[in-house]
Amino acid sequence: MKTKFKNLNREISVLTALVVMTILFGIINPVFIGSDNLTDIINQSTIYGLMGLGMTFVIVSGGIDLSVGSAFALIGVIVSKLSVAGMPPLVVILTGLLIGFLLGAINGILISNMKLQPFIATMGTMSVFRGIAYVLSKGMPILNVPTQFRNTVDGIIAGNIRISIIIFAFFAIIFHVLLKETKFGNYVYAIGGNEESARLSGVKITFNKIMIYGIGMMGTSMAALVQIGKLGTGEASAAQGYELNAIAAVAIGGASMAGGRGGVVGTVLGAILFSALKVGLIVSGVETFYQYIATGLVIVIAAYIEIIQAKLADKKGMKLVKKEKKL
Amino acid sequence: MDNYIEFKNIKKAFIGQLAVKNVSFSIRKGEIHALLGENGAGKTTLLNILHGLFPATEGEIFIGGKKVEFFDSKDAIKEGIAKVHQEINLVPEMTVMQNIMLGDEKRKGILLNKKQMYQETEEILKKLKCKFNAKDKVSRLNTGEKQMLQIAKALKGQAKIISFDEPTSSLSNNEVKTLFSIIKELKSQGITVIYISHKLDEIYELCDRATIMRDGEYINTFEIKGLDKSVLIKNMVGRDVEMFAKRQKPLRANYLQTVLSVEHISGKEGYEDISFNLYKGEILGFFGLVGAKRTEMMKGIFGATPLIQGKIYKNNKEIKNCSPYNAISHSIGFLPENRKEEGFIKDLNNTDNMALASLDYFERNFFQNKKQKYKNALEKGKRVGLMPNDPDFITRNLSGGNQQKVIVGKWLTTNADILIFDEPTKGIDVGSKADIYAIMEELLEEGKSIIMISSELPEIIGMSDRIIVMHEGKITGVLKREEFNEAEILLRAVGGKE
Ligand SMILES: Nc1ncnc2c1ncn2[C@@H]1O[C@H](COP(=O)(O)OP(=O)(O)OP(=O)(O)O)[C@@H](O)[C@H]1O
Ligand SMILES: [Mg+2]
Repeated sequence: MKTKFKNLNREISVLTALVVMTILFGIINPVFIGSDNLTDIINQSTIYGLMGLGMTFVIVSGGIDLSVGSAFALIGVIVSKLSVAGMPPLVVILTGLLIGFLLGAINGILISNMKLQPFIATMGTMSVFRGIAYVLSKGMPILNVPTQFRNTVDGIIAGNIRISIIIFAFFAIIFHVLLKETKFGNYVYAIGGNEESARLSGVKITFNKIMIYGIGMMGTSMAALVQIGKLGTGEASAAQGYELNAIAAVAIGGASMAGGRGGVVGTVLGAILFSALKVGLIVSGVETFYQYIATGLVIVIAAYIEIIQAKLADKKGMKLVKKEKKL
Repeated sequence: MDNYIEFKNIKKAFIGQLAVKNVSFSIRKGEIHALLGENGAGKTTLLNILHGLFPATEGEIFIGGKKVEFFDSKDAIKEGIAKVHQEINLVPEMTVMQNIMLGDEKRKGILLNKKQMYQETEEILKKLKCKFNAKDKVSRLNTGEKQMLQIAKALKGQAKIISFDEPTSSLSNNEVKTLFSIIKELKSQGITVIYISHKLDEIYELCDRATIMRDGEYINTFEIKGLDKSVLIKNMVGRDVEMFAKRQKPLRANYLQTVLSVEHISGKEGYEDISFNLYKGEILGFFGLVGAKRTEMMKGIFGATPLIQGKIYKNNKEIKNCSPYNAISHSIGFLPENRKEEGFIKDLNNTDNMALASLDYFERNFFQNKKQKYKNALEKGKRVGLMPNDPDFITRNLSGGNQQKVIVGKWLTTNADILIFDEPTKGIDVGSKADIYAIMEELLEEGKSIIMISSELPEIIGMSDRIIVMHEGKITGVLKREEFNEAEILLRAVGGKE
């Protein structure tokens, strides 16, 4: 008997939830399924989506990064300053990504060289990064980011479709390929699944962890760049609580918080589901307060679906017995 | 009572696989009943059903004429049905006492009664002649000690039925003796024991009857007394196999060519001033009792733990600041003894687990060649006799012995010149052991050299070119093949002669 264990279950169930939700909201208010609104949902998913891509690496490796919201604000302040000072957009983007990598690498060094627990280490840098952002901006928003930069990261391509969607798709593909097709990606799963066993298999834990947090933070950099493009302003108080939304996108996408399991496809779907829910509730005229409750419920339900699936798998086993009987 | 525990038409299906197919038999009250069969025969699965780890897909279990159905292992334990699991299942960050008392904490009012819990723990540890203390942290214990702790945990409380799933696979002789005297004592108290092992000598020493399973099916139940071993094996494997570890091919060690030279190494784990040479084409066996520090020393050589002093040369070139990464790049491989914690990655499939130590080899322009990895897993799986040999199978879901074969496959994939095998046949069935021995000889033919740690004396004597005996972190003897002698080896292992 041969079995193909393609663990796409979770992706499929998130996709199903997304479709069901779209239909429901569409019935409540047909505006929801208008093409403008659908692209709007995707537009809105880019920020958490990009952050979630990086967070996927971190969580699959068995870690967590609470500092991404603060890093987002810090990177935002720096890039908007650079842009206002007249640096060309492409250089700003590259600088932003590099700074993101360095901030993430700092987390990686704290965690791997200094052996701090990821939760503690990134809780520390969460406060430090935020503080630096305030110091650099002296608490004032940085206004009037040039249109040229804004158009580069979030200009309109056609109709309602923005460049940021292309950027999101591009990053998603790169992160997916990196995770699934390369040595580095294999190591991310191995470290998350069993660090000691990975080490005894010759995986350089320290180096790879620095890379994981560094590359992971580049997703957040890109999100910050896109946000500056959308708003035209950089602010030290930006992105409060975004780390939890990024984690939520990853969790809805099916990654295990204990590490070793998860993927980019799930996270992308998770981020889209997250923003579809938000938009849907607004379109249906639900008050903001209830939106928090609904979001929380979705996270819990998504996790529960997986448990139900395990039970269904047992039933499938039962069918196998019956089939065997007939033979 | 003749049918104390009765399995009736038990079936268990996992996705895509029937692990137990219509098994019916019964176990007498107060007997020691062996459960035998090849790797993947369904022994562990059957016991897990009895102990409530998961439900049977179909079928019923009766105990003392009453139908039982446990929904988790806590229910079973409450009914006095305890199990020593095949894989180590302990909380590493807790103390020995906390692990033993877990789920059954003693209280005084709302507070924990630590005094009583320590007292009870000490009692059990003393009975089992354990050398560690109730206050020790579990993460500090070695594999053998962890196994004893698991046994201690099952023996606590008033069990009526106790199952042991390969309890001796990481114990040394003395501990095995202690365990056996305890199991016999349990029997004299009228407790029913179910005992799984691949070591037939143990079955003959301990058990009254044996039930054999093959490929998920019930084959037969035998009285052990007067039963011929070959009959037992034939029923298990379905064919005749070589029962003893022995070299099938001419010896080929070249004592003029040193491939690994270890000079005066010591480590804080307690091995001291160890020096030896490994020659090309030889199997160098390491024997010792618990506390001999063989594993700890090998981990030092492999760079998994730091050395305090000493030097290591591979082909006369010094290996500096050794780490597992460095050792592997010097073409040294290390198959660890503790498969669940050190051997494989739980969520990966066989393809990825077997490739993990060789990802550079599978890299083409930055990308991993998945097809080649798949092919490698299929080929290595066939070589080690993996069942089912499915590269997409998640390694965690294989039977214990088959997980071990995946790890052997992983180190074969690295194509290392020097392989350090720490208990390579741990949990491997009688039939497949011969396959592993044959693979070792093939490796020698390919020009490789092997270091083998084993606690099984017949295996060490049968397979080694030379044997190094250790006692409490020191070498107490180096024996050539013509000097091999059980009594001599044991004497040196207990430190009776240097
Ligand atoms: N969770 C699971 N999912 C899928 N298959 C499983 C699972 N657990 C066990 N199996 C399969 O059930 C079969 C029986 O396994 P089991 O562990 O009972 O064997 P065993 O007789 O204990 O072997 P060993 O001597 O190697 O310990 C194996 O083929 C194994 O792959
Ligand atoms: Mg088993």
